[in-house]
Amino acid sequence: MAFQEKSAWIMCLALGLGMSIYVSLIVGSGPDAAGLAEPGLPAIIGLTVVMIIVSIVGHALIAALASKDANASLDEREQQIIDRAARSSGFVLPAGIVLALGTYLMTSNGDLLFYIAFSSLILGHLAEYVLRIVLYRVGL
Amino acid sequence: MAKKPPIANRVRELREANDGMTQTELGDAIGVTRQTVTAIEQGRYSPSLESAFRISRVFGVGVEDVFTWTG
Repeated sequence: MAFQEKSAWIMCLALGLGMSIYVSLIVGSGPDAAGLAEPGLPAIIGLTVVMIIVSIVGHALIAALASKDANASLDEREQQIIDRAARSSGFVLPAGIVLALGTYLMTSNGDLLFYIAFSSLILGHLAEYVLRIVLYRVGL
Repeated sequence: MAKKPPIANRVRELREANDGMTQTELGDAIGVTRQTVTAIEQGRYSPSLESAFRISRVFGVGVEDVFTWTG
């Protein structure tokens, strides 16, 4: 497996784990049993810290196992894979923002706007790394 | 599943005929990773013109001796 593919797996793990913890913190902790908690900085900081730790530890591990690959620059195929994954996943964030704005217009719920926009940001990145893995596996 | 490019190649055959050159050695010689050499050999990736020329020069043959259009 190429270093960049391993890196994409680690980022998927970091984003997935961070998001899972974040969702578990906000869902069901609102005013009512099923409600969402208000967006707060501590949860965002926690999510960020989890993602950074998983990302750093994961990359340090794969770099230690294959230092030559870690220091190598991207080759032409890898560059194409990264470009295509970024291009193809680029619609997720804008679509999420439009959805968030539309939801706000309908519900006037600022918390929901925040969560939809924030989820779009994370999902956009997740989609990019998943696409990289798919392109590494099936070819361009 | 991604559509295979309409280009066949003899990279693996030439590599093995060249003192059993490994994919890593060929990758190092042309500036790509072993995984990219694998993808080229399996027909999952068409290399750039520059890499195609580099491959043919490694084996001392012409580009058309390595790559053929099958479309």
